[in-house]
Amino acid sequence: MSTLDASTIKKVVVACDAGMGSSVMLAGQLSSSLAPYSVKVQHSPVNQIPDDADLVLCQQGLVSRAKAVKPDKPVLGFTMFLGDPVFDKLQKAIRDGGQLEY
Amino acid sequence: MSTDTLTADAIRLGATAADRAEAIEQCGRLLVDLGAVDEPYVAAMHEREQVVSTFVGEGVAIPHGTNEARKYVRRTQLAVVQFPDGVDWGAGTVHLCVAIAASGSEHVEVLAALSKVLMDSDKAAVLRSATDAATVLSLLGNDQQEAHA
Repeated sequence: MSTLDASTIKKVVVACDAGMGSSVMLAGQLSSSLAPYSVKVQHSPVNQIPDDADLVLCQQGLVSRAKAVKPDKPVLGFTMFLGDPVFDKLQKAIRDGGQLEY
Repeated sequence: MSTDTLTADAIRLGATAADRAEAIEQCGRLLVDLGAVDEPYVAAMHEREQVVSTFVGEGVAIPHGTNEARKYVRRTQLAVVQFPDGVDWGAGTVHLCVAIAASGSEHVEVLAALSKVLMDSDKAAVLRSATDAATVLSLLGNDQQEAHA
């Protein structure tokens, strides 16, 4: 388990296999919840994660692929699109500037 | 704003499917019939589903192809297939599929509308049990002008 200083997060990338469905939906949800903290949220296919991502979010089953593509990036996995606790954890850490475990 | 990525002719209510594969097949077939994708896209939808489930919660799944299969997408198009009896999707029972064929990002607004609907369980229930295409279109924000009229 590593930690990331949440105050350094400026760009969150939601990655999915194709970058056309799941990640688009989730990026839409997260961009509204993280907008007050000036954090950008973008979606992308898992094999095209942009270099300037501070944090990568993807479905649990894709975490190892995301890490293979970007070994130096923090990757958080989630299992549910609606109401996964990891989204709350992320929002709280960004709001309070705390440490985020990943 | 014009969003023609979801239109009434792309909405099938009252469908039945024995299992997840059959439901995805129907979604893919509809996208082919609409002229939105070439045949191989359907196989990619099955493949994508096996990588990670497209179940998003509230009885909804969003089947779509893989990144490699984008070349089979002729135009960005969404299609809705409703299964009133439900389809076992592993993580839950699906009553509504929003099938996606995307070459660009024209469909983002409809998916954003979908995600808002799903965060409101009352609206999600209305969407799942819609009995006409107009209800689906109004919830997914495709006919804003008519909704305001």
